[in-house]
Amino acid sequence: MKLKYLLLSILVSGSSLISCKKGYLDIAPMNVVQDKDLFSNEAGMAVYLSRIYSQMPFEDFKYSPARQFFDDWLVTPGANEGASLGRDAGTAMTSEGWARNGPYWGRAFNLLRDANYLIENLPDYKSNFSQEIYNHYIGEGYFARAMVFYALAKRYGGMPLVTSVLKYPEVSADKLEIPRSTEEETWNQVLSDFDSAIIMLSPVSPKRGYANKYVAYGFKSEAMLFAGSVAKYNKITGLGDKTGVRVIGFDPGTAAAASKKYFREAYNAAREIMKSGKYSLYKKKWSANDKEAQYQNMVDMFFDISSPENIYIKEYQYPDLTHGFDAYNIPRQLMGGNGYSAGNCPTLDFVELFDGFAKNPDSTIKVFDNKGTYTMFDNVTDIFANAEPRLRANVILPGDVFKGEVMEVRRGIFTGDASNGISPLRVVNGSAPNYTVSGPSNYNEVDAYKAVGAFAGKKSLFLSQNGTTHETVVLPNGTTMNGGGKNGPFTSDATCAMTGFMIRKWLNPNMPQTLVLEARSEQFFILMRYAEILLNAAEAASELMLAGEAAPAGDDFQQIAFDAIKDIRERAGAYPLTAPLTGQPGLEIIRKERRKELGFENKTLWDIRRWRTQHSDVLNGFTQSDGAYYKGLYPFYSSTTGKYFFDAGLDEGRRRFRLTEQEYYLLIPDGEVAKSPVIDQQPGR
Amino acid sequence: MKKIFYKILVCLSATIIFFSCKKDNYPEPQETLKGSVVDAATGEPVLTDQGSEGTRIRLRELSWKETTVPDNFDFYCMKEGIFQDTKIFQGHYNVRIDGAFIPLLRKNIQGDTLADETKYVDIKGVTEVEFKVQPFLKVEWIGEPTVSNGKITATVKITRAVSPADFKEKIEPMGDYSDDMLNVTDLRLFVSEVPFVGYRDWDNRYSTESDYGGNSFDAQLGQPVTLTTQGTIPAGRTVFIRAAARINYATENIKRHNYNEAKRIDLP
Repeated sequence: MKLKYLLLSILVSGSSLISCKKGYLDIAPMNVVQDKDLFSNEAGMAVYLSRIYSQMPFEDFKYSPARQFFDDWLVTPGANEGASLGRDAGTAMTSEGWARNGPYWGRAFNLLRDANYLIENLPDYKSNFSQEIYNHYIGEGYFARAMVFYALAKRYGGMPLVTSVLKYPEVSADKLEIPRSTEEETWNQVLSDFDSAIIMLSPVSPKRGYANKYVAYGFKSEAMLFAGSVAKYNKITGLGDKTGVRVIGFDPGTAAAASKKYFREAYNAAREIMKSGKYSLYKKKWSANDKEAQYQNMVDMFFDISSPENIYIKEYQYPDLTHGFDAYNIPRQLMGGNGYSAGNCPTLDFVELFDGFAKNPDSTIKVFDNKGTYTMFDNVTDIFANAEPRLRANVILPGDVFKGEVMEVRRGIFTGDASNGISPLRVVNGSAPNYTVSGPSNYNEVDAYKAVGAFAGKKSLFLSQNGTTHETVVLPNGTTMNGGGKNGPFTSDATCAMTGFMIRKWLNPNMPQTLVLEARSEQFFILMRYAEILLNAAEAASELMLAGEAAPAGDDFQQIAFDAIKDIRERAGAYPLTAPLTGQPGLEIIRKERRKELGFENKTLWDIRRWRTQHSDVLNGFTQSDGAYYKGLYPFYSSTTGKYFFDAGLDEGRRRFRLTEQEYYLLIPDGEVAKSPVIDQQPGR
Repeated sequence: MKKIFYKILVCLSATIIFFSCKKDNYPEPQETLKGSVVDAATGEPVLTDQGSEGTRIRLRELSWKETTVPDNFDFYCMKEGIFQDTKIFQGHYNVRIDGAFIPLLRKNIQGDTLADETKYVDIKGVTEVEFKVQPFLKVEWIGEPTVSNGKITATVKITRAVSPADFKEKIEPMGDYSDDMLNVTDLRLFVSEVPFVGYRDWDNRYSTESDYGGNSFDAQLGQPVTLTTQGTIPAGRTVFIRAAARINYATENIKRHNYNEAKRIDLP
């Protein structure tokens, strides 16, 4: 009781002290770092830039649409672009930060302020630095600003262009309101900030992790490709309610010219990097006609910090700055101590983009022979034995080796008669096989499993419920085999190779098993690499040719595009490019190459959004605007023959991807619209 | 120790409770807005999907002066083409609806208003409004659907509810016009296990979609078109079906369907 009064009196006296008159305490606090401390030398600037870089909207191991930036939980790049599915991921991107953290908005303006502050105030301290390093620091300010405006523009369209430090509370808040500009003005701001950065930044990063001229060229080419594509393909537009400004989409009168301008900027920026000769495709272990070497080369390039292909990387280091990519995405068979695994399972749709295995005329994988029964394989690895090396570097295929272990991927064991071949499994109650969305979704619904129809009284399919509950089969040689493989796929546990595949890209092949934990991974993420520059140049060249534009002096669009794709295919071990890339079919080839090369790198999602094809591309009979599904490839073992066969079909979980056309522009956070007299919501929404 | 902790906790919570003591200065919203959307030519209700791709009602309270631009308050029309909200503050409102019909508020590319057929009403007590609109298409059942082997076959007729000339006269001044906007792009037979069947509630195992490029559907306008569901609907189920069609024109950035009324089908 005494204590209560004591606390009360402390509270009372505490609150009365707050009312001290200001004036004689009005000196700069000694314990707060001042401009003069930071802007005085390179060490101080390193502190300032660390703060800037820690807020940069880099889409790396700490980015997912569900949880936005700076959050490494359950990060599974690829799961929103259709390249993969996962237990905790796999939806179209219709908003951002829905799982936590909210949309990218407030954090963008924090960083804009820091960048603007640098650009406005560093000139007062110019004498502390050499001209070159001073220029570089100013360039860093423009680079950060360009990155923020780019990140915002690709999400929201037109943005409030905050290009100076807003002085609050000196100026009242209502005088500091800035409305959204048009989308075109916003992209022009992105362009001009990247150009300012390119002029000011050093050709070589003065310190590891800093940007440089070529980093800015790289992101400029990516951003301008985005802008050019939106100007050309976007159909969603409108004027803001509050301002009457065209905050999304382009004015039909200026769109075509803007598109050409941006594609040309994208092309020229990519060409500057190509002409500099500073970067090249990673081919340290590459060797012509040696698929194993080509595969190993493409695995190694993601871990070699000295790779000449790296233009810009985000480094991590334990224990200061870490992520959890390995813990969340490790194959089930090698599950780490936190109990996560296989969060990122490539779809068959992604795998089918690659070369080197039998396909049907519609380019889907061929799993049936000419009699309509399954093609049988002696080994589970045979189906992909001659696959393009790049596929194996991206994806762990059934039976592939990872960390010295064979990755066992098996949906179940078929014990029925195979003497006349095995008929399609997805059959219910003796009806015709049904591989459409109305067919059986899980293999525990089919006749062979339920012992009905043609299998009446003869259960012929054995599955595993999860990693510990198995139906087992005694094989002819007397050994016992679990229905599902060590990596599944399982009937009712999705922490497995749920599509029949697991991701290999980015997984550290040398990480000791005991360290496969959350917040323990420290491999770097490649934010910009030379292959993307080649793809940017090729795509921009192709678009400019389609628009009837002339190439800059000394360049041949046709040749540049052809060489870029040829080189990438050669390094990947894909089928060589033979015919010139002309017209719309040529552009489609370039786009497909881009999806194959840049899968799981947080690029493809933005590609299908800027092409405006995400809602309209037909996927297995549906479009995302109506709701679409991806496919898996499910390996089965035939116990009577000792051979494997594969069933290709819609994902068992029937994860539905749905995106309507207007969702290319994410909603402005409602609170921001409600509290501001000038910030417009997306027109029509 | 624990006791003291709880006492402090009680004191703290008491303080928090007192903070919220100020009485709300507005009576609770209790006015009602009821409305219907009818075809201006025929007086028939304009049927719609029930959701964001259906007819949207947007209220903006003009008598509220605290915000310079009134906030949008949106809700969606029922599938029969009627709507009702019983919790509205009394005041002067702009009521705007958008759906698969000629926009009521038409602006040119510069944002100047060409026509404003939205309603400005004082909402008090029960206020009723009727919107007369020009739907793009009219979808009608022809005869009764039949069922065989788990498949439903239905015949529908699609006609234009607004003439191409009228459409062009009203839409062209809004800019970026092309005759392609008039083309019918798809015709669907939606199947669902709930009566609210439509674009936001359909079972894609059974629903059917036919797509049409260019003006290829024109020859079938006014003609009976027969649609059959996909897959096999299990015997004994009750499902609801609706046909829908749309043209290649988006209102408020969404291409919306026109519908006929939902029918209940009990599969034998």
